[in-house]
Amino acid sequence: MEELKSLKLEVVAMLDKKKILYEITKNKNFNINVSEPYNEISIQFIKDFSNQLRKQEILKYPDLIYLTFWCANKKIFENKNFLSENQIKVGRGLIFHICPSNVPTNFIYSFFFGLLSGNSNIVKIPSKVFPEKDIIINTINKIFKKKKYLTLKNSNFFLNYDKKIEKTKKISSICDARVIWGGDNTINEIRKIWIPERAIELTFSDRYSFSVINLNKFTKNKFDEIKVLAKKFFYDSYMMNQAACNSPHFIFWIGKNTTTKNLFWEELNNVVKKKFILDEKIAIDKYTHLIKSMIDQKNFDNFKMFQNNIYIIDSNKYLNNIEDIRGKNGIFYQKNINNIQELKKYISKKCQTVTYFGLEKDDIKSFILNNNLFGVDRIVPIGKGLEIGPIWDGYDIIKSLSRIISIE
Amino acid sequence: MYDIKKIINLNPFGYGKFSKNKIFNKYFNRLNQHHYKNCQNFRQVCDGLGVKGGNKIKLQNFPMLPINIFKSFDLLSVDRKKIVKKVFSSGTTGQQLSKIFLDKINSNNQMRVLSKIVENVLGKERLPMIIVDQDPRFTNKLRFNAKSAAILGFSLFGKNHCYILDNKGNINLNLLKSFLKKFQKKKFIIFGFTSQIYEHLLKRTNINLQSYNCKNAILLHGGGWKKLEKFKISNFEFKKRLNKKLSIKNVCNYYGLVEQTGSIFIEGKNCGYFHTSIFSDILIRDKDFKLLKKNERGLIQLFSLLPTSYPGHNILTEDIGELKGEDDCKCGLKGKYFLVHGRVKESEIRGCSDVR
Repeated sequence: MEELKSLKLEVVAMLDKKKILYEITKNKNFNINVSEPYNEISIQFIKDFSNQLRKQEILKYPDLIYLTFWCANKKIFENKNFLSENQIKVGRGLIFHICPSNVPTNFIYSFFFGLLSGNSNIVKIPSKVFPEKDIIINTINKIFKKKKYLTLKNSNFFLNYDKKIEKTKKISSICDARVIWGGDNTINEIRKIWIPERAIELTFSDRYSFSVINLNKFTKNKFDEIKVLAKKFFYDSYMMNQAACNSPHFIFWIGKNTTTKNLFWEELNNVVKKKFILDEKIAIDKYTHLIKSMIDQKNFDNFKMFQNNIYIIDSNKYLNNIEDIRGKNGIFYQKNINNIQELKKYISKKCQTVTYFGLEKDDIKSFILNNNLFGVDRIVPIGKGLEIGPIWDGYDIIKSLSRIISIE
Repeated sequence: MYDIKKIINLNPFGYGKFSKNKIFNKYFNRLNQHHYKNCQNFRQVCDGLGVKGGNKIKLQNFPMLPINIFKSFDLLSVDRKKIVKKVFSSGTTGQQLSKIFLDKINSNNQMRVLSKIVENVLGKERLPMIIVDQDPRFTNKLRFNAKSAAILGFSLFGKNHCYILDNKGNINLNLLKSFLKKFQKKKFIIFGFTSQIYEHLLKRTNINLQSYNCKNAILLHGGGWKKLEKFKISNFEFKKRLNKKLSIKNVCNYYGLVEQTGSIFIEGKNCGYFHTSIFSDILIRDKDFKLLKKNERGLIQLFSLLPTSYPGHNILTEDIGELKGEDDCKCGLKGKYFLVHGRVKESEIRGCSDVR
């Protein structure tokens, strides 16, 4: 009973919203603001951000270049959530974003989704040192200085702290939605922390992704097609050191044309040589990962390496634990299959993105609908693996972070 | 049966390239086969990489194990029942420990080879010895860690041991002074980890040993240079300051892995380079694992003829080094000589899953 009492007191103390907001932001004017999703000012802000970002020296950082492209993508700002005459929509209130410590740019996408859905945001940014992170924060601070963004400045905040649970507790106690990106342990730990009854939670946990390539679908222009494909595949897998949830670890080949397969790897090797910065540390990490999997698993049939650029492991046995079979910095497992139906047994709840070449959309749809699947949230062409959008991990993020008001 | 009995008494630094390679390659081949036969995990790696051994294989083509693999697996090449000693090392980064499993033969060979190598620095006679550390017998360690193992190992080459750090890790100046009073007139040894020597003998300004004499000291130090890197002190500078502050002239640095205890690499007299012995070899590789030539910096790969109870005979380290030559070092020791430049630079680890 005593314990319960003290817990209650703690909660009451935390409910002092204004106090907490000031404590966290040190800004007396900080205010939780809601507005309609896709409101003009939020779209304008993102565009201004992108313009400002482009003015900085970002050529060294593929993540940042990609971010500017992302901001220029009209699709991101298309409001597809049509409402009836009797409905209006506004943001939920304060969104607390908890972003992973080891992905430098993830937090900005999470923030943009919170902003676009009409909310105020407190964003926990990665505690690790990343130049990308600093460039983004500096850019934001620059635009916040503009008069027209004063309201945004006073209703959004970026917070840098390590794993201090107290802060997480405090912000959680006043948020209207909590968005957690992170590994399974992180999510489970944070989930233990109380959020208000009305608050919702979106969790983006650790996921698994793979690729499917239909060897039968290359045309007479095979060489050119493979070249393009290898380049696209490179972006999906190497840009985040193959450590993003949506980077592929496995390739399933439909068809048996070994020559085409080998051509693909050779072409990929050419791209890696040109575009991937392989240093000694990455090389030794990659080699360690390889040797570990050789000792760990019995999935080795054959192994091929293109220097330290690509390691390819044939794994033709039946695999029931595919999500544990992971590469790093360019280690890929491969297996031949006869048709798309065989993928059924590899799609578990952990499965997030399947990137493909040479599949028909209708076939994919009927495959999903007819197989009682609990996993896979995205099936996209190779090259679009990392394209993060407002529909993610099966959520419509904008929709989830806003609420509908019925007016009759 | 793999056995180094026949070569264990050879002069570790007495053989030139040609005869050394002949001996080394012969033994290394056998050793690799021994591990292939007796360690299933190692066999999986060899088979996975498609290198099974055979006499004609070049040293550079044998499958190497990355140093961190000893943190992830218990690797053994003998029956577990034969293990008499486990050595744990925090080694590089992270909380996971490397685990090295030693049987009696392996453990004995380590000590015998270590003594053959160290003889070159300390001489055959056992001299009074200062150890700049705590007495490992009195530190309450549950497990036998690499540090205690090294201290106990090296302590065997001296006598009248004086551990000058108290149980809080502070220097006990009175102990040090009374040792010097007693032994300074003749040759004596100072042994310690590089970082400890720096911390307790060099960095502190309040040590006043003016009235004492360290001219007759032989200082042997090694390991833990990672910390030195933080202070940005070179090996050369280190020696210079030892000389200036404590007038120690005879300073020898050693380099070695817990995974290859025994076959350590020592500096020759006043040359500043580490030397391979007949029991060890080194290759330098670039980021594609291509072999590098003299004067090119790259990853250090180390070979040892000693590990028999665990497959630690061929290890790719995370250290960066550079070959400087072979057999022609001015110090007179035969073998390859090289420099170690520290740990490979960390790259950013990214990803969605938990950081481990």
